[in-house]
Amino acid sequence: MKLFEATHTFFYNWSQVSAANWRKYPNDNCPHVVAIDVLDRKVDPETGVLRTERLITCHQTIPGMLNRLCGGCTISYSREVSEIDPQNKVLKMTSCNLSMNHLINVTETVTYTEDPTNPSRTLFKQEARIKCGESISRFAGYIENFFIQRFRDNAAQGRQGFENVLMGQHDKL
Amino acid sequence: MSQSIGSQCNELKKEYDECFNKWYSEKFLKGDIRPECEELFKKYKDCVMNAVKQKQIDKLLVEARKDDPFTSSNSENKGKS
Repeated sequence: MKLFEATHTFFYNWSQVSAANWRKYPNDNCPHVVAIDVLDRKVDPETGVLRTERLITCHQTIPGMLNRLCGGCTISYSREVSEIDPQNKVLKMTSCNLSMNHLINVTETVTYTEDPTNPSRTLFKQEARIKCGESISRFAGYIENFFIQRFRDNAAQGRQGFENVLMGQHDKL
Repeated sequence: MSQSIGSQCNELKKEYDECFNKWYSEKFLKGDIRPECEELFKKYKDCVMNAVKQKQIDKLLVEARKDDPFTSSNSENKGKS
């Protein structure tokens, strides 16, 4: 199993960041995310928490052996469930791959919280776990390394892309 | 706005997303949690679920929801299709 962690501070308040979250795609830094759909969405009347389930469609090539293992797939799907607590200013998202999950499991958790030392800033924390399935465990090291590196690259592009979205949203105000 | 998994749903998605984004910033973040955009969401969601079934992703969703249901066992399922 491989783990990935990253933190970042966005110089925008939590409300701006949580609103921009819904406008993150498309962005030029993340061309691999080709579609996002909301499957369900509910506000809990007791807690006021907004829960959303989304389907994310990605298009990204996979080299050599991996490509053969997954049957030449370039389109993949992930499911994301998020919760937004506007009272406590917490946005938490968990996503996992739906495609190829008999071969590999990628689980990501992202949280955006208001910086307790500066409410004009938002703290970002990202964690991912990548684990190969038993059927390909002898290739696990190679495959997990590949996906961790890809995840790291996509995450860096994602953060930059989100910064651009935030800047664009800010400029419109 | 981002695309939908079903290209035939793009227009419905655009209408729903615009309504939701407005509601989110102007109502939800200001403490008004009364839901809006429900009619638009229903039309959009019906279209998406057709596309999901056509691409046979619905079975993958059923499996994934077993581990992490959209609604907890404590919350109401009223209105959830």
